[in-house]
Amino acid sequence: MDNILISILSLTAMGICFGAILAVLDKKLKVESNPLVEEVEKLLPGINCGACGYPGCRKFAEEAVKNKSLGKGCIPGGKETNDKIARLLGISASSANAKKAVIFCSGTNNAKKISSKYRGIISCAAVNLANAGPDCKYGCIGLGDCVKVCPAQAISIENGLCVIDPKKCIGCGLCVKACPRNIIHMVDPGNKDFIVKVACSNPGPMQEVKKVCSAGCIGCGLCTKIIPDSPFYMEKKLAAADNSKITSKKQIQPAIDKCPAKVIKIIDV
Amino acid sequence: MLKDLALIFISAVLTNNFVLTYFLGICPFLGVSGQMESAWGMGTAVTFVMTLSSAICWVFYHFILVKFNIIFLEYVVFILVIASLVQIVEMFIRKFSPPLYEMLGIYLPLITTNCAILGMALFMVTKKYGFIESVVFGFSAGLGFSLVLIIMAGIREELKYADVPKNFQGAGITLITAGILALIFMGFSGITS
Repeated sequence: MDNILISILSLTAMGICFGAILAVLDKKLKVESNPLVEEVEKLLPGINCGACGYPGCRKFAEEAVKNKSLGKGCIPGGKETNDKIARLLGISASSANAKKAVIFCSGTNNAKKISSKYRGIISCAAVNLANAGPDCKYGCIGLGDCVKVCPAQAISIENGLCVIDPKKCIGCGLCVKACPRNIIHMVDPGNKDFIVKVACSNPGPMQEVKKVCSAGCIGCGLCTKIIPDSPFYMEKKLAAADNSKITSKKQIQPAIDKCPAKVIKIIDV
Repeated sequence: MLKDLALIFISAVLTNNFVLTYFLGICPFLGVSGQMESAWGMGTAVTFVMTLSSAICWVFYHFILVKFNIIFLEYVVFILVIASLVQIVEMFIRKFSPPLYEMLGIYLPLITTNCAILGMALFMVTKKYGFIESVVFGFSAGLGFSLVLIIMAGIREELKYADVPKNFQGAGITLITAGILALIFMGFSGITS
């Protein structure tokens, strides 16, 4: 009888003691979690995609509150979410999320030369490894690795060339990583509602480009000279457009008209 | 004295390894050994908790259970002590050392009911260890657990690139590896009596 009583009493006492200690310590050692973090987290989509560079939405919220900056911003959340968070934290939203994916190639099936025949896995990455595909090593392979990764169904393959719908593009950058030829880049339109691109990635001189594709930039440099204070510049033998310097479509119209390869293109976003 | 402690150490780490000889803590052994990084985290957490709980359990056993002659309650009391201890430790770490808390991560609360830790407390009693011996025993048992966990993680990371027959893929090859590891550790028996 004594045994039972003692065991009941001692166990109860121990239980109460531990409970009390835990309760007290829970209060004393409480880690202050910022209520702002909770609020920011509520605004986020909560899909933990990791596109912002943090392991999840919670971590992004913590870092955003701590650093008073959105970093790359919440990419799937879009402009609206980022604006809301920025307003909550009293900072200005970053424009990072406004970036759009742009394909720098004009090589449709009519334009690009394909002298090798590929038989194997239907994937751009595999073709690239096999050194097959279009003769231009900067050209779109057109098997749609980018189409497969796009969460917004913004990409299609038309006549052997990747086409990105900027209206549907959410700017997640997954296609940039998926493209084995590295010819998709994120471009910031800035304050205007269009993007200007030189739709070619081949830095070679004219003879080399002409050999493999009829639609490539031949590197004549005309676009850099024809407009005063031109937003175009040359990288080796490849022209490129600096979108931050472009103000209106009219400003660059002469370059578009005079470009011998017709490779300068305007994309409305 | 020092010789005894050294013997306890070697026996707990190698000859009487908790995982491969007593088959305690198999669940985390198979569950957390997929990656080296998590194996380190789990190993550290278990060693830490084992060392602490061996000390606390010894005190509780000798000053409460033996004194009131209620030794038959040791299972319940040890579980209670270990679970509360882990909770308290977790709170302390979260408050005072956030980096350590991040490193141990979810493994700390996971081991509240780890059988290896309860087993350690019970062995400590049956082997009639003194206080220091108990602490050394707890520490080396945790070290032995970590050692096996890390060996296993290393092997499993390499196994990812091995051409395993289809029938053995997944749990099969893991258990076979564990079995072979246990056989290897059998070779240590005889170092200490």
